[in-house]
Amino acid sequence: MARRLRNALLVAVALLWLLPTYLVVVNAFTAADEYVGPRWWFTSFALAENISTAFATADIGQAMWNTFLYSAGSALIAVVVAALASFAVVIMPVRRPVLWFWLIYAGTLLPLQVFLSPLFNAYAATSLYDTQYGMVLIYSALAVPFAFFVVRNYLTTAPKEMREAAQLDGAGWFTMFLRIHLPLARGAMVAAFLFQFLATWNDLLFGITLSTSPNVRPLMAALAELNGQYSGLGPPVILAAGLVASIPTVVLFLSFQRFFVNALRLTP
Amino acid sequence: MVAVNNRATPWAARSWAAVFIAPAVALVGALLVLPFLFTVYRSFFSDDGLSRSWVGLDNYATLVTDESFLRSLLNTGIWTVGTLLLPVLLGLLIAVATNSSGWGRFTRFAVVLPYALSGSVTAILWNFMLQTDGGVNAILGLLGLSALEQPWLLEWPTNTFAMILATTWQATGANMILFLVGLQAIPTETIEAGRLDGAGGFRLLREVILPQLKPISIVVIGISLVGSLKTFDIVWLLTRGGPGTASETLALTMYRQTFTLSRYGYGAAVAVVLTVIVLAASWIYLRRQLRSDD
Repeated sequence: MARRLRNALLVAVALLWLLPTYLVVVNAFTAADEYVGPRWWFTSFALAENISTAFATADIGQAMWNTFLYSAGSALIAVVVAALASFAVVIMPVRRPVLWFWLIYAGTLLPLQVFLSPLFNAYAATSLYDTQYGMVLIYSALAVPFAFFVVRNYLTTAPKEMREAAQLDGAGWFTMFLRIHLPLARGAMVAAFLFQFLATWNDLLFGITLSTSPNVRPLMAALAELNGQYSGLGPPVILAAGLVASIPTVVLFLSFQRFFVNALRLTP
Repeated sequence: MVAVNNRATPWAARSWAAVFIAPAVALVGALLVLPFLFTVYRSFFSDDGLSRSWVGLDNYATLVTDESFLRSLLNTGIWTVGTLLLPVLLGLLIAVATNSSGWGRFTRFAVVLPYALSGSVTAILWNFMLQTDGGVNAILGLLGLSALEQPWLLEWPTNTFAMILATTWQATGANMILFLVGLQAIPTETIEAGRLDGAGGFRLLREVILPQLKPISIVVIGISLVGSLKTFDIVWLLTRGGPGTASETLALTMYRQTFTLSRYGYGAAVAVVLTVIVLAASWIYLRRQLRSDD
């Protein structure tokens, strides 16, 4: 009896959670000019038209491409930079490794708002404002601390004998890094890459602060504009754009759930 | 340090280390640490972006008497309490209930799916749901609960509560996963022993399972706490902090003061207050992290 009650409750919770998603999908399929209020069932199949309206009005396609460049580029840069730094702090004989650790890690503890206005001024002064280079640069910097944390934690578990064996072979630091520790930390680096890819993909704050033109603006900033300035297009168009914007993250998340669970446990 | 390399001196090794660590330090230093220090510095000035004059602690003194800042502080507090009560508690309950149940997989999938959406997409989706002629009111009408229909986003504090519910929908999945990780780490013998002692249902939960979940709970609470203090995307997209500035959180107040009103010094002071609160809250999590580092 108790078991049956629990199962019924679980199904109710699941349906409650799926209800908004269901409504969004149904209404994203509704033709924009037929929309008079939330639909409960598919009455028209205008998803493609809605998407193309959104793409034409707020340049969602360009924004998606921008965001893909920023997410992939900055996650890659951050992971490589973080791996180099982790190698230095954990394996090489640096003085005050704890100081260096905190200097790099501190970036994840501070709220993002604290970086915004100086970055805005500095970007305006150095003509990095509203450029793709500028966006990759800031997203890379934002991604380094957490990637560093993940890779460093992983490298501290590397057996010391590996380093000593490599040194006996006369390998230089760079060879050692490339041949031994880089392959060793591959799993941690993939996890950090995926996590930072998603974090950048989902960013709104830096997108609306450091960019403005459609050629540079990332996806979430374009969606925000669609939701604000172009709300007259009606819910079907906006919801269709939201669905398209979520496909990459949902696919990534569902295919790599295990990695996210591991990375999640380490987020500050 | 032991003999480092049969060819290199320790000095050479150290300069190599500098080469390895330089890119990370340069990126973080130039784009995060320096801006942070500059924000702290700027909070002691009256600064409209064109001219700057030293005012000492005046910005902070003004904050204490600024109605809209105090409201924003209150809203941030409501968000913190709300996200600790709802997503954390629901995450725990759903994790415990689905851990050993056939229907559990279905429920887990439904709850975790929104976690893959960004804050902005969540906001767009709930903007549709919470409009006066939107999804939630339509559902209420369909259920014959028209009396409960209302303009969810237009009045404070209703809009803050509605936005916390939207966040709950998105964030519960992550907490649930973490609690499941914790649950699966509990040895089966511990639970069996509890059962043999006659504990069942809620007593088993309270006396056997919850104490075992303490370490993971600290992580979940730490993450939720810090995340809720930084709430921005969903409020920015759903109400822009409105009506007026009634539903602003600290992150929005900072943004508006700085970029809408060009009060750079005052905005910086808000950012510093937010930082102090976030660091204090992170302490819960950090203390544990540091201990496990030793």
